[in-house]
Amino acid sequence: MAGKPGTNPTTYSPSMATGKTRPRIFKDHDVDWVRPDGRGFHQCRPAFFRTGAVNSASGSAYAEFGNTKVIVSVFGPRESKKAMMYSDIGRLNCNVSYTTFATPVRGQGSDYKEFSSMLHKALEGAIILETFPKTTVDVFALVLESGGSDLHVVISCASLALADAGILMYDLVASVSLSCLGKNLVIDPVLEEESYQDGSLTITCMPSRYEVTQLSITGEWSTPKINEGMQLCLDACSKLAMIMRSCLKEATSTSQE
Amino acid sequence: MGLPDASGDLSSEVEVDAFRRLFPLRFYERHLSESIRPDGRPLGRARDTTIALGAVASADGSALAKIGSTTMLAAIKMEVMTPSMESPDEGCLAIDFHMPPICSPIVRPGRPAEAAPVVSKQLSDTISSSGMVDLKELSLVSGKAAWMAYLDIYCLDADGALFDAALLSAVSALSHLQFPVVSLNEDGRVVVVSEEDGGKPEKEPVNREKRKLTLKSIPFSLTCILHKNYILADPTAEEESIMETLVTVVLDSSSQLISLYKPGGPVLANTSVIQVSFSPLKHTL
Amino acid sequence: MEIDRVDGRTANQLRPLACSRNILNRAHGSASWSQGDTKVLAAVYGPKVGTKKNENPEKACIEVIWKPKTGQIGKPEKEYEMIVKRTLQSICVLTINPNTTTSVIVQVVNDDGSLLPCAINAACAALVDAGIPLKHLAVAICCCLADSGCVLLDPTKLEEQKTKAFAYLVFPNLTLSILPEGSLKVEGEPVEQAIITSVTQGAMSVDDYLHCLERGRAASAKMSAFLRRSLPPQNPSDSSRAG
Repeated sequence: MAGKPGTNPTTYSPSMATGKTRPRIFKDHDVDWVRPDGRGFHQCRPAFFRTGAVNSASGSAYAEFGNTKVIVSVFGPRESKKAMMYSDIGRLNCNVSYTTFATPVRGQGSDYKEFSSMLHKALEGAIILETFPKTTVDVFALVLESGGSDLHVVISCASLALADAGILMYDLVASVSLSCLGKNLVIDPVLEEESYQDGSLTITCMPSRYEVTQLSITGEWSTPKINEGMQLCLDACSKLAMIMRSCLKEATSTSQE
Repeated sequence: MGLPDASGDLSSEVEVDAFRRLFPLRFYERHLSESIRPDGRPLGRARDTTIALGAVASADGSALAKIGSTTMLAAIKMEVMTPSMESPDEGCLAIDFHMPPICSPIVRPGRPAEAAPVVSKQLSDTISSSGMVDLKELSLVSGKAAWMAYLDIYCLDADGALFDAALLSAVSALSHLQFPVVSLNEDGRVVVVSEEDGGKPEKEPVNREKRKLTLKSIPFSLTCILHKNYILADPTAEEESIMETLVTVVLDSSSQLISLYKPGGPVLANTSVIQVSFSPLKHTL
Repeated sequence: MEIDRVDGRTANQLRPLACSRNILNRAHGSASWSQGDTKVLAAVYGPKVGTKKNENPEKACIEVIWKPKTGQIGKPEKEYEMIVKRTLQSICVLTINPNTTTSVIVQVVNDDGSLLPCAINAACAALVDAGIPLKHLAVAICCCLADSGCVLLDPTKLEEQKTKAFAYLVFPNLTLSILPEGSLKVEGEPVEQAIITSVTQGAMSVDDYLHCLERGRAASAKMSAFLRRSLPPQNPSDSSRAG
């Protein structure tokens, strides 16, 4: 899975000047708190994308965000299951699964059922389902290694795979999550941070249209915190989408050569 | 599929593509009579093979093997267990082969591929028959603690010759395996020493240095398709679906026959064909 | 060369064979086959309308369902199902009834070694009983390679566990053929010399394997004769069976 030479991992950290409030509101014991991988609180992990990871699929993508590694394959549009009723718009079918070695302890992947439906909801709004009536598009994701923030990596990777498969979408879907740890907002949390978090926020959006397809908030949040978190995430999303777009452009330009 | 265009090149191309889909067998037989395959390989040539060790950071040993576009990811996770009464000084190796829905259009969630349990069984049979792993090496404290090695192989892209790629990745992962450092704690139980706080003097590691498995012999396999008088090495998924007789030969590094696996298919003449299918394999060794 | 076997057989001696046909009333064809204490029951239903999964407009489909003596079906049984299915597909004339499915249910009654060959023999007899058109019969045998390098035929379970390697072989059985002489040769060897299925376990040298083949083939002739003896129509007027 080595990247092409010359494609340095690109980061997409938000450039918002929220840093000024940060040190002041820390509790004393929070001040010297460092993230496990040494990033700044508002710094994302380097993102690497590549399309065309699986030849037998109609479209596929591989994403690597730090230790989180994900492959998504897209099949179809193909015949719907016989039992399905006739529908004049296309169907989207999503499934997320984990390898047994993805998590530190063997065979303890998170709840994939929930992830599958979250993935479905996040993508549904972006795909132009009217373009493939009576058929189904299958989006299957496999988390090879779980390093935290798995779902948002899966969603972003899936939208890239859909683009690779040539499924019509209104825009690429980018997703970023954020953890609330005490008074701090930590973007793109790793597994360790996720296990200590007080609350989490995930935004999935179509940056060019400035539309949100999914927003999920869990845990305890105050309204100003939510606002701050959403701004951070939206900013990161638009940068992530730029990385994804450049990955797609690169893939087409190399195939044309 | 576009309509035949005005330009002659394009229309003939479309016809070839249509011919391939409508009469796959005849399409292949035309190629075979010219001793070439649609992907440009001669009949006996295997596809390019690459292996990358250590592909999974969270595992104790891992490897990614690619044969053509067939991709396998194998990873080993070690756990400490109490050995069974019958074999107190032996560890255990559990092998499982998975075909997640991402790997092929045939597999769908909730309907696992028929091939997966078969390849899984074939792999464990082959690895145990070859005797490449001495289970005694997986012992830590006789009768008290031993390693339980979980070897999981995931097919990321299925394009024929699944068993060959799976075996290759499994063997590579075993060769890459490094035992975690463990020590005995106060209760006499074995605990894994994390590398950061390693080197505490009162806890003497049970396995002094990081040890690797000694692999006695290394099995290699080659799958061939038999069709009429032709033998095609290392088939793609398309070839496997059109021509049904498959033979998998597994030899180890000392040229012992580990397995000759031919599940049915139209009749095969034995001696000559088997000997022929050995030869490209020996070539790759 | 002589080796003592627990049950006093010589290396080349098979266990007593028994085969009875038409033992189930509802199935379209059925047979039980036993080799010593290993006994397998096979039932055939079909050809019937193909299920959607196995639909193929050009060929008939064969499905095999393996029922173990006790417990759940696991990986080994899945593998057996696949091997039996592929083996039967190779002997059936699949183009006669396209788009149909023939189910073969294999029920293990008792396992005392050579289980897979026994099941293939039973399934083959059941297909004949059901009147499914076959190209030829198939005879399966297990050869066991003892530590001394001797080949033991038709091993019991105990022998299978003790020996270092064994091979399950399936040979075609076609003494009567309407094909012209020349077509019975594949690459200069008569088809009689061919194998349909080979599954091996344990390490052995190539020469040992070829030796197994030779002995297995010699023994399969005897089994073929037995199979043919037990197969001629028992009562031609049995039209009352399930339709």
